[in-house]
Amino acid sequence: MPNIPPDLNGRCRIELRNVRKSFVAEGREVVAVEDVSFRIREGEFVALLGPSGCGKSTILNMTATLLASNGGEIRIDDKKVVPDKPERHVGYVFQKDTLFPWRTVEGNIGYALELAGVPAEARRVRVAEAIHQAGLDGFARFYPASLSGGMRQRVALMRTLIVQPEILLMDEPFGALDTHTKLDMHSVLLDIWERERQTVLFVTHDLGEALTLADRIILLSARPGRLKQEFSIDFPRPRDAVALRETPEFAELFSRIWHSLGEEFAKGHSA
Amino acid sequence: MKRTMTLFWQLSIGLFALASWQWGWELHAVAPWLVPDLFDPYFVSKPSEIFRQFLHMGCLVSPRDEWTYQVAGAFARCIGHSENNLWIATYFTLKNTLWGFVSGVSSGFALGLLLGRSDRLSEIFYLYITAFNSIPRIALAPIIILAFGIGDASTVVTAWLVVVFLVFFNTFEGARSVDRDHISAARLLGASEWQVTRTVIIPSAMAWLFASLSPAISFSLIGVIVGEFIGAEHGIGRMIIEAEARGEAAGMMVAVFVLMIVGVFLSSVVRRIQAYLLRWRPAQRAGG
Repeated sequence: MPNIPPDLNGRCRIELRNVRKSFVAEGREVVAVEDVSFRIREGEFVALLGPSGCGKSTILNMTATLLASNGGEIRIDDKKVVPDKPERHVGYVFQKDTLFPWRTVEGNIGYALELAGVPAEARRVRVAEAIHQAGLDGFARFYPASLSGGMRQRVALMRTLIVQPEILLMDEPFGALDTHTKLDMHSVLLDIWERERQTVLFVTHDLGEALTLADRIILLSARPGRLKQEFSIDFPRPRDAVALRETPEFAELFSRIWHSLGEEFAKGHSA
Repeated sequence: MKRTMTLFWQLSIGLFALASWQWGWELHAVAPWLVPDLFDPYFVSKPSEIFRQFLHMGCLVSPRDEWTYQVAGAFARCIGHSENNLWIATYFTLKNTLWGFVSGVSSGFALGLLLGRSDRLSEIFYLYITAFNSIPRIALAPIIILAFGIGDASTVVTAWLVVVFLVFFNTFEGARSVDRDHISAARLLGASEWQVTRTVIIPSAMAWLFASLSPAISFSLIGVIVGEFIGAEHGIGRMIIEAEARGEAAGMMVAVFVLMIVGVFLSSVVRRIQAYLLRWRPAQRAGG
């Protein structure tokens, strides 16, 4: 298995071994993901980067048990994942807005606690804390329809984080936001992650975003998605989402990876 | 300013219509070229006549043309005099409409949810439901009367029959169109099958159900009136039939006006409930 990096220190939380996924479209088999293997260690923030349609979301969704793979295996904490049987300690953040429109901000954030049967009083305290942490004070009783896109994504993030998942799978969660709001969300996420150190697999096609947030970038090739290259991002932490972008190191790494990524974008277009 | 103009026009048109109704027939006799013969009092009565009849039927004025509130016990005596006076009739019609509405909405919702979430059941039953739905429900009213006899039961069943399909189809659509990502999100947040049903599918389908409440209450009223036309002892529909048998246009018109008030009242109440229940929706209320 050539692509698996050496397990440095810390236990392995997520492991993909020769994962493959194909779909049948118009009677023909289309391979979306081919022979993908990687490991993510405890407390590591990994960005899965690649051009649109390269299968990065597919990889994430298979890890989240939303999709079944056609080959290889995916292990979380050394246990093979079963499609449609989500793991309790794995949180997932969607790209699409999936807040429940009929629940208020506090109703959405407290949803998972409600499912788990946490008593109302304890729930209220934890929800209030999460609302404060996300900078949503005063919006507890608002319905999603009256919030901006950025605020909705904060609520979605808190809805996932409130049960304190140890592993966090994020599917381009800030993909639909404007640049300013996006940077804002990076600060919110860095703030939370640098304190709680969940194990994160973060899918994105935005190189700047990957560099800002991640410890490691896994670059995928254009369809069918294969591992192309890996980059360690060792900017010191805590990071400042805005100031980091202005450092020469950031620019240097950006242009190095951009070159690699550019090739894949070109392939993605010609395909 | 615009509001005042609107009000002015509304008022003018209303007064003009009432005036034509009141004096149109006499004017037609004098000047047939000016007024068409639309207002034959034998068929449509006259506003003044209808109002007088309303006071009598509502026992506000005694048969001897005294205000009943001025004479102790006169109102009660008048009410006791007739089995189907305006108050009792309104009470029965309202009561049966509400029962038809409640039973129709709840059973339609349960059925819609059940079939909407089970591909197997909907495959089997959809044929029958579509076939049954093609029957004009009113056509079944005589059969219902035959089965349930003359009285409240058959009126409520007629109303139920009219309401249940409307609500069923709405809920069915709602249950089928639940956002799959909402279901995924709930599952990933730890929801069991039952919890997904309770916290995602039912609330989503409810939105569709609520949207059907307004037509449902109107349908229920229609069902009740038809039921009362054919076989009932009480109710406004029954009142219309009785007035018709006596050739009393004014009595029929009173009943129709009371029905209009009942209809406006019921739908405004339901609309208010609906607006409250759907308050989470984006502000596009104008579209309904």
